[in-house]
Amino acid sequence: MSAYLELRNLRKEFGDFVAIDNISLRIEKGEFITFLGPSGSGKSTTLYAIAGFVEPNAGDVLLNGRSLVGVAPNHRDIGMVFQRYTLFPHLSVAENIAFPLRVRRRPKAEIEAKVAQMLELVHLTPMRARKPAQLSGGQQQRVALARALAYDPQILLMDEPLSALDKKLREDIQGEIKRIHAETGVTIIYVTHDQEEALRLSDRIVLFNHGGIEQVGTGEDLYDRPRSSFAAGFIGNSNLIEIRLDAGAAHLPDGTSLRHFNHPDQGAKRLMVRPEDMHLAAEGIAGQVTERIYLGDVIAYTVRTGWGQDLSIRAQRRAAQHQAYIGETVKIDFNREQAYIIPE
Amino acid sequence: MLMEFSLLGWWRVVLSAVAGLAALFLLAPLGLLIALSFDSSQWLQFPPPGWTLQWYAQVFADPNWLASLLTSLELGAVVTLASVLLGLLAGFAIARGSFPGRETLRGFFLTPMIMPSIVLGIALYAVFLRLHLAGTFLGFVLAHLVLALPFSIVAITGALEATDKSLEDAAMLCGAGLWEARVRVILPAIRHGIFSAAIFSFLTSWDEVVVAIFMASPGLQTLPVRMLGEVRQNLSPDIAVVSSLLVLGTLLLMGLAAIFNKDAKR
Repeated sequence: MSAYLELRNLRKEFGDFVAIDNISLRIEKGEFITFLGPSGSGKSTTLYAIAGFVEPNAGDVLLNGRSLVGVAPNHRDIGMVFQRYTLFPHLSVAENIAFPLRVRRRPKAEIEAKVAQMLELVHLTPMRARKPAQLSGGQQQRVALARALAYDPQILLMDEPLSALDKKLREDIQGEIKRIHAETGVTIIYVTHDQEEALRLSDRIVLFNHGGIEQVGTGEDLYDRPRSSFAAGFIGNSNLIEIRLDAGAAHLPDGTSLRHFNHPDQGAKRLMVRPEDMHLAAEGIAGQVTERIYLGDVIAYTVRTGWGQDLSIRAQRRAAQHQAYIGETVKIDFNREQAYIIPE
Repeated sequence: MLMEFSLLGWWRVVLSAVAGLAALFLLAPLGLLIALSFDSSQWLQFPPPGWTLQWYAQVFADPNWLASLLTSLELGAVVTLASVLLGLLAGFAIARGSFPGRETLRGFFLTPMIMPSIVLGIALYAVFLRLHLAGTFLGFVLAHLVLALPFSIVAITGALEATDKSLEDAAMLCGAGLWEARVRVILPAIRHGIFSAAIFSFLTSWDEVVVAIFMASPGLQTLPVRMLGEVRQNLSPDIAVVSSLLVLGTLLLMGLAAIFNKDAKR
């Protein structure tokens, strides 16, 4: 069965620089997909290739089985909300939303009905006569969203639409975007470098790094079962420890052996434990507390181990059997089920 | 150091006096000329023995003056139109294009601004003689277009570069073709730049005299060319009247520009 949107081995070079290489991805209708990654990782280039502003050097973009390569952006029937404010400054809010329908020469009555419906969708009906310059940044992006959805596009692309807004407003509009996704059922591809935003919004996350796809999966997949150290480090915080697995035990760099490691693999491996899965204990990895930050619900410790690595621990304030202070020597342990061997 | 005008003490008086004198020095000749246009003496006597509108009536009744006024207006209008259209095309190429030599092209477009106009006049005259364009309206238009185009390109390129390219991309994703997007979205967004381009183009042609002398023929003279001729032959109050009208026309245009710019900022 073919996917709704399919990317096949996409490659794009700018001069000597390979922006994306061998990008393959299948997206189902109605999904909310996030392209997550650091800047320069190729996520925006991939998005612009779908939009039609970047012509790939190799590979294909298929929508409903039809290739989009060579199709001009204005014939792709794709909606997009940009990072910058792109409302047309000389048109009112209502005229901005009506623009794509006017370009398509839809009948007047239909345009009016659709504009009213879209204004309702983004809760901006009272602002319909305002000019973009009279709106706040958040309102402008909501109008841009309404404009991009007015013509019922096959896909909605969003290129870091909230990066110019402050945190509180960003969270409000994230909620609004989720609601609109649920109400309209539109397929959304959302680009962000903010992992929290990606976790909050998406059905699936596509993690980009160095112009390639590092991992595709749900937020839980990426957080609990990262396929690489990069994925483990980019989504959330993690402690990565070099270990050697041997006969049911893990040997640490300082010679400590942790027992009850029943992992099928043997030899040198990289172990990941999330800070919230570590705790102070009577037995375990020895180290000295170098930092202690009281955060209300949790206490964040930094502990320097015998081999000089800093481990992060987030201990529940109430659950902490042991409290430790800076300079104190402590032992750290973790549940074996929460330890994860990175399969790279 | 921060200079605070209110803290300067008696220096304030000196500074104000210097500024006032400078302004007087710059504006007095213009004021004198305007006063002379209402002077009842035909020998441009000052102070005027009496006031009259008779020279204005005389100028407006003179077919030669009216003919050159019309020539200047027509020329200005055609040059403005051509300059804005070409300026738009060149502006899109410079601001949006990516091709080797783009910055060189940008510099090249500006050369008429720094070229001595007498050299330009002679060079154009030499070429136009061969092409049988000397003394024709088309020749005049082309010559003034060379001078006006840099102003137009600077104004429009600047406005385009200040306008986000994403605006164009957004319009295209909305379903508009590239040029439809540019006409329906980008042109309104840069309208103040287009307006400046038009005003500067018109003014460039309107008061240009050096190149115009080479392009003019007895039957085709712009207002400044005829004025220069008149001044050389006989100093009559007509000159004062036409000068005053030129100043008035320029002031009106600048006022219009100011109102428009204020509107664009809102």
